[in-house]
Amino acid sequence: MHTEGALLEAPAATSRGVVAAPARRRARWARGRPRYGLARLHPLAALACIGALLAAGFVLANPVQLAGLLVLEMAALALSRRLREARPYLRLSLYIAAFLIVINPLFSRGGLDVVWRAHLGLFDLAVTVQGLLFGLGSALRLCVVVWAFALYNVVLDADDQLAIMSSVSFRSGLVVSLATRLFPVLSRDAARISDAQRARGVELDRGRRRDRVAARLPLLGALLTQSLERATDVAESMEARGYGRRGRRAWKRGRRWHAADVFTAAAALVAAAALVCGLALGAFRFRFFPLLDNPWSTLLDPLWLIAAAALVLTCVVIPLVTESRWRR
Amino acid sequence: MAPLALLDNVSYTYPGRSAPALRNVTLQFGAAEVVLVLGGSGSGKSTLLRALNGLVPHFHGGSFAGHVLVAGKDTRSTRPKDLAGIAGLVFQDPENQAVMTTVEREIAFGLENLGMDAQMITRLVEESLISLGLSRLRRAELATLSGGELQKVALAAVIAMQPQLLLLDEPTSQLDPVSSEELLAAVRRLAEDTGATILLAEHRVERCLHLATRVIYMEDGAVAADGEPQWFARWAAEERRELLPPVTRLFARRLNGHLPQAEPEELPMTVKDARRLLDSVSQAPRLLHPAPPAGLSAPAGASVLEVRGLVAGYPPDDPVLDHVDLALGAGELVALMGENGAGKSTLVRHLNGLARPLAGSVRLLGRNLSDLSVAEAARDCAVLGQNPNAYFVRETVAEEIDYTLQSLGITGVERARLASAAVDELDLHQLLDRNARDLSGGERTRVALAAVACAEPALLVLDEPTRGMDPAHKSALSSLLRRWAAAGRCVIVVTHDVEFAARTADRVVVLGNGGVLADGAVHEVLHGSLFFSTQVNRLFRHTLPGVLNEDELDWGVSPQ
Repeated sequence: MHTEGALLEAPAATSRGVVAAPARRRARWARGRPRYGLARLHPLAALACIGALLAAGFVLANPVQLAGLLVLEMAALALSRRLREARPYLRLSLYIAAFLIVINPLFSRGGLDVVWRAHLGLFDLAVTVQGLLFGLGSALRLCVVVWAFALYNVVLDADDQLAIMSSVSFRSGLVVSLATRLFPVLSRDAARISDAQRARGVELDRGRRRDRVAARLPLLGALLTQSLERATDVAESMEARGYGRRGRRAWKRGRRWHAADVFTAAAALVAAAALVCGLALGAFRFRFFPLLDNPWSTLLDPLWLIAAAALVLTCVVIPLVTESRWRR
Repeated sequence: MAPLALLDNVSYTYPGRSAPALRNVTLQFGAAEVVLVLGGSGSGKSTLLRALNGLVPHFHGGSFAGHVLVAGKDTRSTRPKDLAGIAGLVFQDPENQAVMTTVEREIAFGLENLGMDAQMITRLVEESLISLGLSRLRRAELATLSGGELQKVALAAVIAMQPQLLLLDEPTSQLDPVSSEELLAAVRRLAEDTGATILLAEHRVERCLHLATRVIYMEDGAVAADGEPQWFARWAAEERRELLPPVTRLFARRLNGHLPQAEPEELPMTVKDARRLLDSVSQAPRLLHPAPPAGLSAPAGASVLEVRGLVAGYPPDDPVLDHVDLALGAGELVALMGENGAGKSTLVRHLNGLARPLAGSVRLLGRNLSDLSVAEAARDCAVLGQNPNAYFVRETVAEEIDYTLQSLGITGVERARLASAAVDELDLHQLLDRNARDLSGGERTRVALAAVACAEPALLVLDEPTRGMDPAHKSALSSLLRRWAAAGRCVIVVTHDVEFAARTADRVVVLGNGGVLADGAVHEVLHGSLFFSTQVNRLFRHTLPGVLNEDELDWGVSPQ
């Protein structure tokens, strides 16, 4: 079906019209990704906050306190508007947590309040209330740690991470940066290869799981080869741009510290100090076996209250205040 | 005065190869030269550039003879990283040369390696951003940039290091015409402003011949021609006319056709030059055949593809394609054109069911694609994407072809016949036992084409097949597509290459602004367009309406 006549009367206008949609979409990102919450802070301040959360995850054992930390981490992710990116981490942590909750009680033998007893072959199983809560506590602790890493990865961009790590080890930082950059490229390659194979008649999504895996195996080889070729190209580009010369100097984009950054870093330091003191004084000790400590007893400990208040300040209050001031 | 760079009898062979990539190359480059390096795929252009910054032999290994001196430093004893501040190289593929994640960090990377202080780095990053018009993208993540923007960032990252010798290895091969023009304009400004010597390896000679102060043509690793552009144009007019831009070819034919001595003997490099020359010659060319009248195109055969009211793309409230209608018949050879982002690739993904329409329908040989899986549609519609490497999953070329036929459920005698026909058609006899990934770019495209088209589908779609292709391969591809169309297949070529479309297609469809902007016979659509028109058409737009190629013109003297 041919339309009447050639309709190229105004190519300039056409060009503008044609590129309008993608240009509009990209424009939002042109000056970098929009930053909210922790992501808006100076990278070192954000890192201090994440570090305090991580430290709390290792120091605390009380499931109620750990659950509180998870709520704070979730709030920090939500206020930074990075929940979508954090979804894979959250999913992974929930799978592992579920595994721990199921497995731990089966092998924990210290509890006294037995809720279920069974004899399975060589094993005598005795599931106790203490074992169940220990499993829950372990799962919560694991989630706190994984979510802290999720915050680090999705709130700090790769260049911020590199800038922080450069002061310790530039090479390690560069590896992290390259891996971060190459991951989306790898995903695109995988999609391209799958599409190309489908387009030549290869059924990738039909049959049983085993058939689908078998159909995809040759693609893995192609993906690996392509990744290696790409890695060689990047290495060549790095060498051509002087990577490996002596006398390298790190450039840090001059990001100024604002009041919010200072308050966040200070609050994170206070939280960390309180946690360390509490650890030294045994204030956060929590026993699961043989009988469970009262989970509410440690909640009124002054050191915990200081740490909790400081963490709420860094993860929720400061981001909310900054956001409202920014909007004004 | 000592030359900036000197190659003295350089020969080089890549590891595992028997044929040398460079053979006894002796060249020297002074300051402020803009050198265009031409040659077919595998002629040694890229290797020459890599020899000048020491990547050959330091990064690639292999056997190296002769000497390369850059700013007095011998590349045998100086590693590429130590030459980085003197010789900067921009590679072909912008995606594969980025190291960092944001624009300004990427530009700063080389400067950090050179050991500059933070203040200087900040200044040079800023100046590079400004010089290439990238200021607004300074903090953008590289993953969000288009190919053209990425290649500009790569160029900015290299020029920030202020090299005396700037080496550009087909920097526009992955870019659309607009991005290419922008990049080459930036290169020209750079040459004028900084006085750096620039070596530009390119296939698209019509875009950059006029920028050059010197042209080198390479063949089989050796320098076959080396001189200033006018000299080169006259040499190519005798020896390799396909290397010249269309307007230069047109005047070269006149030159070879007993040009009267009194006439000017200069050959034009651009349409502007040609227009000026045309005013001064005594006899203007005439059309060999009158252009086909508007609206008349080759009658289409039986319906192969019918697109009705197609709405596609993201987001749904602002789709890339908005109610597109298109019908194609057997034996049609259609060029699908349009700006980047016009929806060409989106449309292609709907032609074999890789993407599902938001609204409307796509019917292939009367069957609605929504009812078929991609693999089921593959029997009747083959799509060759932009990256041939994505197709290679087997050990040898023969296995690649067989894998497609096996996947399509073709067996026995028919399978053998189709495989043999594909091998014959694409001349793959010598390559059957080789791994496709070990082949040159042109050979890879041929193998990928054989792998997707071996089942002789009714519809064949090629997405940007001429990217990075030299003129000889382009010409061969054009002939092949015309043969396929003549045999009754419907062929769609997505391309930015107007000259290729003008020589190859019968019909042109231009997408833009969410729909079909133009659809008609090739002469009808390309004539008179400001953007989608050939050099020759631009030259004769008002005097010889409808002309697209220099082959359609005659000077009134018998060409040799």
